[in-house]
Amino acid sequence: MAPHVSCFFLAVLLTASCEVITSSGQTCIEKEANKTYNCENLGLREIPATLPNSTECLEFSFNFLPTIQSTTFSRLINLTYLDLTRCQIYWIHEDTFQSLHQLSTLVLTANPLIFMSETALNGPKSLKHLFLIQTGISSLEFIPAHNLKTLESLHLGSNHISSIKFPKGFPTKNLKVLDFQNNAIRYLSRKDIDALQQATNLSLNFNGNDITGIEPGAFNSTVFQSLNFGGALNLSVIFNGLQNSTIESLWLGTFEDTADQDISSAMFDGLCEISVQRINLQKHHFSDLSSATFQCFTGLQELDLTATHLGELPSGVVGLNRLKKLVLSANKFKELCQINAANFPSLTHLYMKGGSNKLDLGAGCLEKLENLRQLDLSHNDIETLDCCNLQLKNLSNLQSLNLSYNEPLGLLTEAFKVCPQLELLDLAFTHLHVNAAQSPFQNLQFLQVLNLSHCSLDTSNQHLLAGLPALQHLNLQGNNFPDGNIQKTNPLQTVGSLEVLILSSCGLSSIDQQAFSSLGKMNHVDMSHNRLTSSSIEALSHLKGIYLNLASNSISIIPFSLLSILSQQSTINLRDNPLDCTCSNIYFLTWYKENLQKLEDTEETQCANPPSLRGVKLSDVTLSCRITAVGIFFLIVFLFLFAILLVFAVKCFLRWKYQHL
Amino acid sequence: MNSVTAAFLVWTLISPSSDGHVRGEAWPTHMACSGGGLEVFYQSCDPLQDFGFSIDQCSKEVKPYLNIKFGIILREDIRKLFLDIVLITKSSSVLNFSYPICEEDLPKFSFCGRRKGEQIYYAGPINNLGFDIPQGQYHVLLKLYNENRSTVACANATVICS
Repeated sequence: MAPHVSCFFLAVLLTASCEVITSSGQTCIEKEANKTYNCENLGLREIPATLPNSTECLEFSFNFLPTIQSTTFSRLINLTYLDLTRCQIYWIHEDTFQSLHQLSTLVLTANPLIFMSETALNGPKSLKHLFLIQTGISSLEFIPAHNLKTLESLHLGSNHISSIKFPKGFPTKNLKVLDFQNNAIRYLSRKDIDALQQATNLSLNFNGNDITGIEPGAFNSTVFQSLNFGGALNLSVIFNGLQNSTIESLWLGTFEDTADQDISSAMFDGLCEISVQRINLQKHHFSDLSSATFQCFTGLQELDLTATHLGELPSGVVGLNRLKKLVLSANKFKELCQINAANFPSLTHLYMKGGSNKLDLGAGCLEKLENLRQLDLSHNDIETLDCCNLQLKNLSNLQSLNLSYNEPLGLLTEAFKVCPQLELLDLAFTHLHVNAAQSPFQNLQFLQVLNLSHCSLDTSNQHLLAGLPALQHLNLQGNNFPDGNIQKTNPLQTVGSLEVLILSSCGLSSIDQQAFSSLGKMNHVDMSHNRLTSSSIEALSHLKGIYLNLASNSISIIPFSLLSILSQQSTINLRDNPLDCTCSNIYFLTWYKENLQKLEDTEETQCANPPSLRGVKLSDVTLSCRITAVGIFFLIVFLFLFAILLVFAVKCFLRWKYQHL
Repeated sequence: MNSVTAAFLVWTLISPSSDGHVRGEAWPTHMACSGGGLEVFYQSCDPLQDFGFSIDQCSKEVKPYLNIKFGIILREDIRKLFLDIVLITKSSSVLNFSYPICEEDLPKFSFCGRRKGEQIYYAGPINNLGFDIPQGQYHVLLKLYNENRSTVACANATVICS
């Protein structure tokens, strides 16, 4: 029996010690030394003693603090940001934040608050952001208003608030954001809104409240930065209630899970009495879309009709001739001409991405949009053999064009001749068919950014990138080069103004020493995720002060002769390479430790060889590759013996020679 | 020596249970639906928490716009939320796709934009296609994550169709 008992005691002891280890192992993560700490999900019941008094930013969510009071945080007098999300706080007693004079953001989201003392929020000299989301608040009286004069944003979402009436004396003057998402607000009275008149440029969010009534004139002569009535069932109520107000941005979209009432043209009548710059109507259904539907939209600058089930816009639409920006993404257009672009002659921005049908660009469908500067046609299954001069006809002021994520496009020389002002062209993940010796981007004098990632380009075409005198940023990620090699003559040699070059995941195994010889302005080169060895570094010998990413390659030994090239760069990333940590790489290993400030991701830069050091950080390796004292002793003894032997041999030889004379 | 080994054995047996619910221990497997020749089981693969999920109508002939129920505590803000689905049958991956649920320019659902810490209960339709499930057993890996690739929910599901 006795051994069993002792066994048990031993077991208990071991578990106990084990628990101590695990709990002490759960410490906060230091994100910025002495300033920013993350203590999330640790089940802590108090502020750990290990946190320095100088902590400024503390993420303390998902811990356990049923009661917080003046002693809880008193030590952390430099706190500016305190996140107490879901800490099971029931009580916030008097003077809890008394000593936190610097506190500007306090997050109390998802705590089942029973009571906040009148002086609970006293202390901070300029509390700017207060989050009381899902704290069970049913009345605004619950919030102690004493020290909120400096408040800029108040987040009260997901509570049981049914009236936005602020108690008398509640300071609203500096408020910029007031968020009432997902509450039970059904009616807005004139008095409610009057209390907010002091605030200027206020953004008010009623998303997820079913507003069924607004007192006539409630918003009379009020000015708002933005108003959000997302998911509201009856838009007529909103439009009528907002009469005579001035709103920069009005969000009236609905959602997949919200019961939807069809929008009729008559509903928009109220809009004639409102001054609005931007409207979002996402996911609504239009029951009788006609040329008169938008007649009250005359003052509008931006209209967002994302996912509004549109297959066609009528011609001769009245009211949108001053519109600057139009979003028609995620709709059902089959042909680009179906948007009847002549309706929007002032348009500068057109976004039509992610349509649910294959989009046919047609010919000259946008030719009336002479002022168009930005066009997004990504994710549309667009497929055409000869792009894009016919399709983009007359868009001579276009500066930004996005054709990414489409079906294969065929490009001939000067494929974008009709848009000579292009500064940004995004063709990522759209396969491009370019015949040999063609230069599709020829004469894009102002093009600065070109994204050709994953375009299945023929990189043996020397003229591919010809005619781009201003190109600064080129992304060629995911394109293959012949035999995994960039030769001396390659398409990059024609873009001498390049500053940023991305060649990651290009299956590269070697780069010629002269491959980048005409690219003298580069300051950012990303060659990660290839199979490059250290010899490729020679191609960068003429560059200085660049950011160089060589992560995930096959670099093992970097010889002495290449270290000067690395030394002249500003930042280098060598993570996930099979780096050699033996004496054959000693020059590099020494250089590495001396240049740690230049290196990025040093935590993941580890040895692969010898096996004993596999997975060890390079910065932790100390090698001694000199001959040891014992070695020197044996070498001397050996040399001494050898000398004696030599003398002896010479002696013997001479003696033998004289004997035979 | 013998008693030490025994003690070690006892310790290894006791310690996991004495730890309570610490990371590493798997969450229980729940049934999302059963009926119409279809059974769907799932298990949370987020080490931090479990979640609740059920499908209203269980059937081999999956109808479009299925109604689901879903309850979870958010570990991250979900202004941007994406879903990754990997379908595995006979240990080879047959389908792999990614779908945006909440985006800045298109918040599809009313819960988009809710904050870290909030508890969410969603009962409503999902935007699925209708299709028939062939007989067999499938493994589905579902992952909800935000723009920083931080996990919002993770599920290992098994679909048995007979």
